[in-house]
Amino acid sequence: MAKKFFCPLLLLLLLPESFSADNPTDRRLLILVDDLTIRSSHSLFFKSLESRGYSLEFRLADDPKISLQRYGHYLYDGLVIFSPSVQRFGGSLDQAAVLDFVDAGHDLILAADSSASDLIRGIASDSGVDFDEDAEAVVIDHVSYAVSETDGEHTLIAADDFIQSDVILGEKRIEAPVLFRGIGHSVNPSNTLALKVLSASPSAYSASPRAKLSSPSLTGSTIALVSVVQARNNARMLITGSLDLFTNRFLRSSVWKAGSSNKYEKSGNEQFVTEISKWVFHERGHLKAVNMTHHFVGEKTEPAVYRINDDLEYSIEIYEWSGTSWKPYVADDVQVQFYMMSPYVLKTLSTNLMGLYSTSFKVPDVYGVFQFKVEYQRLGYTSLSLSKQIPVRPYRHNEYERFIPAAFPYYGASFSTMAGFFIFTIVYLYNK
Amino acid sequence: MAKSSSTDAVTLIRSLRSAYAATPTNLKIIDLYVVFAIATALIQVVYMGIVGSFPFNSFLSGLLSCVGTAVLAVCLRIQVNKENKEFKDLAPERAFADFVLCNLVLHLVIMNFLG
Amino acid sequence: MASPPDLKSGATLRNAFGGVLALFIIFLIGVLAFSIRLFSVIKYESVIHEFDPYFNYRVTQFLTKNGIYEFWNWFDDRTWYPLGRVIGGTVYPGLTLTAGTMWWILNSLNIPLSVKTVCVFTAPIFSAAAAWATYLLTKEVRGTGAGLTAAILLAIVPSYMSRSVAGSYDNEAVAIFALIFTFFLYIKTLNTGSLFYATLNALSYFYMVCSWGGYTFIINLIPMHVLLCIVMGRYSSRLYIAYAPLVVFGTLLAALVPVVGFNAVMTSEHFASFLVFIIIHVVAFVSFIRGILSPKMFKVAITLVLTVGIAVCVGAIAILVALVASSPTKGWSGRSLSLLDPTYASKYIPIIASVSEHQPPTWPSYFMDINVLAFLVPAGIIACFLPLSDASSFVVLYLVTSVYFSGVMVRLMLVLAPAACIMSGIALSEAFDVLTQSVKLQLTKLLETPPNAGDTKDGSSTVQSDVVEEDNKMIDNKTEFVKERPSKKSRKKDKEIVEKTRSKSRNQKRLMILPLEASSVAILLIVVLISLYVIHCVWAAAEAYSAPSIVLTSRSQDGLHVFDDFREAYSWLRHNTEVDDKVASWWDYGYQTTAMANRTVIVDNNTWNNTHIATVGTAMSSPEKPAWEIFNSLDVKYVLVVFGGLVGYPSDDINKFLWMVRIGGGVFPHIKEPDYLRDGQYRIDAQATPTMLNSLMYKLSYYRFVETDGKGFDRVRKTEIGKKHFKLSHFEEVFTTHHWMVRIYKLKPPKNRMKEKLKKPKMTSKPLSGTRRDESAKRNPWQ
Repeated sequence: MAKKFFCPLLLLLLLPESFSADNPTDRRLLILVDDLTIRSSHSLFFKSLESRGYSLEFRLADDPKISLQRYGHYLYDGLVIFSPSVQRFGGSLDQAAVLDFVDAGHDLILAADSSASDLIRGIASDSGVDFDEDAEAVVIDHVSYAVSETDGEHTLIAADDFIQSDVILGEKRIEAPVLFRGIGHSVNPSNTLALKVLSASPSAYSASPRAKLSSPSLTGSTIALVSVVQARNNARMLITGSLDLFTNRFLRSSVWKAGSSNKYEKSGNEQFVTEISKWVFHERGHLKAVNMTHHFVGEKTEPAVYRINDDLEYSIEIYEWSGTSWKPYVADDVQVQFYMMSPYVLKTLSTNLMGLYSTSFKVPDVYGVFQFKVEYQRLGYTSLSLSKQIPVRPYRHNEYERFIPAAFPYYGASFSTMAGFFIFTIVYLYNK
Repeated sequence: MAKSSSTDAVTLIRSLRSAYAATPTNLKIIDLYVVFAIATALIQVVYMGIVGSFPFNSFLSGLLSCVGTAVLAVCLRIQVNKENKEFKDLAPERAFADFVLCNLVLHLVIMNFLG
Repeated sequence: MASPPDLKSGATLRNAFGGVLALFIIFLIGVLAFSIRLFSVIKYESVIHEFDPYFNYRVTQFLTKNGIYEFWNWFDDRTWYPLGRVIGGTVYPGLTLTAGTMWWILNSLNIPLSVKTVCVFTAPIFSAAAAWATYLLTKEVRGTGAGLTAAILLAIVPSYMSRSVAGSYDNEAVAIFALIFTFFLYIKTLNTGSLFYATLNALSYFYMVCSWGGYTFIINLIPMHVLLCIVMGRYSSRLYIAYAPLVVFGTLLAALVPVVGFNAVMTSEHFASFLVFIIIHVVAFVSFIRGILSPKMFKVAITLVLTVGIAVCVGAIAILVALVASSPTKGWSGRSLSLLDPTYASKYIPIIASVSEHQPPTWPSYFMDINVLAFLVPAGIIACFLPLSDASSFVVLYLVTSVYFSGVMVRLMLVLAPAACIMSGIALSEAFDVLTQSVKLQLTKLLETPPNAGDTKDGSSTVQSDVVEEDNKMIDNKTEFVKERPSKKSRKKDKEIVEKTRSKSRNQKRLMILPLEASSVAILLIVVLISLYVIHCVWAAAEAYSAPSIVLTSRSQDGLHVFDDFREAYSWLRHNTEVDDKVASWWDYGYQTTAMANRTVIVDNNTWNNTHIATVGTAMSSPEKPAWEIFNSLDVKYVLVVFGGLVGYPSDDINKFLWMVRIGGGVFPHIKEPDYLRDGQYRIDAQATPTMLNSLMYKLSYYRFVETDGKGFDRVRKTEIGKKHFKLSHFEEVFTTHHWMVRIYKLKPPKNRMKEKLKKPKMTSKPLSGTRRDESAKRNPWQ
């Protein structure tokens, strides 16, 4: 199996980041499982991945030969951890290695369940997602549970409190509730990187169904069922407390949310996991900004320095990855700052619908080292943060106005004294 | 008091005039030149008071060219004045050459500063 | 003395010989001035010294590369990030232009010297020129003998040497020459009344304005002298010729220098000259009227003229006062104000007070810098008063004012040095005159040899047994009073002997005869004194003032240690960081960083923006996280601190820390100095305040310091540090030099993932391997 990756490895040598700027989703996934039956019990999810062009490699989580990287290069572009109960990874893999993998710009899907080990919890909490610390606790909802014959404890939940984002969950609305069974987690609202994609209903709480209920630590809609994290380097993570969410059984199951008149033939799980995996693996919402240029109005070449009060044109191209190719990104809220300690100019860029955003403005009457800054952060999209430094100089000595009408009398005076000097010289010498 | 001072003033002016009438012609020429320069300077100051001091460098150079001219002419007058004992060793030609040199430097600087 | 015809032939010959000899001596003085300043090159290497010279060097490089117009319009974006600095408009270009011109001339003569070499040797060359200028000035005041003595003294005076050793490529190096030369030309104009010299004087003043901010000293001192002359009733037409054109030309030319510009007419520093300009015109007019009127009429006239004149003066003063009052800071710059009121800076402007060379000097520094001259100066003053001329009164005035200024600011000791040298030169020369004459006359009497023999003996240049009268009449024979002055040492003679004054001088000489023994002993003592001075100067040149401060040495029992940490650090920056990276450090190291490491700095030694410096000071005084935020907002990538605790280098950042706190606190009030003080002291030992121990400067200085000796003993503060084991959360150490003198830290990027727990009273399930990432964030008491 490993040999198979040597050829891509050569390619990889050229690309320090796992996803290249040109092709963010060309990738190989490593799937760690507790036991290989998951391969068949979750086959629908894996098939959908394979059908979208991913090559999957399954390993037991405690396989001693697991290695994420070789010779300093990562062998995989994404990691799927479907092994909630593993206490220790095999091989060189450990919690730090997984996090380093993410910090190197790779994506991660982490699914836990009620048997989640400290290792799994640690990875999640280091990403800003905290599973309920009570090891016994699962999410229970006595109101919006999914009606089923087997579950009397209402731990099978029909959740439909999705995040409102076409980018993350696709344009097509997910009609049916998503079946969820597992542990809940919380996300600090001040954490700007983590997002709750699927939240529990206000009536949910997280507690052990067997133990006596005593003030659960997590209640209501603060409980996140599925969260995504987009790290600052745009690596994406999906963290959920339910491995069952991805099972064939849940994907195929019908769902009838308690108290609801609608009974859906098919749960929303399949659509949900497919769409969100598209997002996690950068098939959607991945922007790139290229060709940031600026020049004087009417010129083409980029100057090394501007003068105060120059007129300039600024343009940038922004594209979105569609899964197969870069498409122009269209929005009306992209702004550029002309920045020196604070923005002196803030302009909304206008787009030509072909990905090119441009504007023109006058350099302020302040000299210094400025930056063209584009800070574009939108929900679900990778954040764009570009800056380009450009000095702005004051006028040169010969760029000031030369002959000022108000000064003509002074010119006249100066020249008249000069003339006077000549006349005086002549008269004086002649007189003598 | 007023009367005596006015008569004094009259006699003073008269004696001034008579004293000045004795001045050699070349000194008179210099005096004329000084008066011309000072008049130009005053005109400029008045003009500056009217329109404001915006092209300040032009104003400065204009004014200082006049003042400089006047000062240099006064220096020349001091040097070539026959009655002035301090400079009896200095030949008038030498004094005038110095004067021309100074003026050249002055006007060079003025031209530099004017724009 | 010989009979007149005898003397005449002998004297002419001797004078011709003496002239040549004097020229030769002047040349030798130049060589001496140049070569005594080469100790630094010999002991260390040909390297630019200290801080400011690095900036000048960088500017010169730019000038030689890009030419004068580019230099004039240079907007430097590598310093004061992100504000930038308009170099062309804020720098005194004299030094740079001088060195650039020298380099250009040498290169066009196909002498390919590097810019650096030219820069290193600019200062010694100009100190030789300064010695010559001193000669000219003193000669103008008191004749050749005094001139030569003063020139020798100046050539080796330690105060001036401290600023002009090879490699000390600073404005003062050329400015002192310009200063003395301007004074010389002023005196020359005053003595001759020639417009030609007046023009030269103005041009020399222009050069001074180009070179150094100290030109205000000239433009205030000369009016003071003019006023003094007028008050003393010494007004003459020559005074008018010396002064009036200087003001007009000087103002115009000064306004041509971009850094001065309209300041030449707008600020109070220059108003004195305009005021005196008006006064001298009034006085000139009065004396003109007096000239053409009879005394009786003049009395009438004077009442009228005075009323008019006073009215004009009052009007002018009112206008001036109005102008001054309307201009900001009352027209005075902070540095000038601190000159007038020595406590001003420490009260209001910590940034000026923080510079060590702006502090008032201590008494030992007087002895160090001018040595025995301090004792000779009073004698020189007395000599100047007998007889008092315009020129000698000027020198006295110069001395008095410069003594005051040097008492306010150590740096201005430099201005005092030439004055002290001139005074001492005059004093020594007078003393030698009197004493050698006594010896000579006594000897002739004793030996009963005919005077001719004495003369021939003198001719063979036996030491100190010559009597030559010298008439110091100016060559162009103005109305300068006639002075007789016997020359000082046997080697110095004058060109001209005027017979008619001889008998008079002989009488005078008789009066000054001292007993032979006393004079011999006195001569001996003076020689010893001079030798002491020379020894001190050579010592100062070799030991005290030659250290380039960029390379340090220390001597211990196991030999010489060289600390080359600064250059090590700068070259690390140069080779290991990106070209556009920004480096933050305290402003002292700004010039060096831009010049040697070629990296953008936030603040530098041109302390023009107090707020910006205060920002850096605040960052250094803040705990890690706020400091990180401040630096990050300024796009800083690296932070450089200088730490002397390991090797005992006292001028490190911890010792400068109080200024960071003070300057930072002056702008950002949340930095409070008392937070850093324990019992009124900055302490870094176990007694230190928590604020101090948490400040970035403490942490960056002492990070991992305990690993060196296990105790964390700071050799500068002679104490063990207060907090020994700590970690950095927002900075990482990237480079520490061999002797730990320079430490460079990099700002950590923001964490890739945020992990803040919702509400976590208990830490039990905190994952182990994750601890290193957020440890200090939790431990930081500031959060």
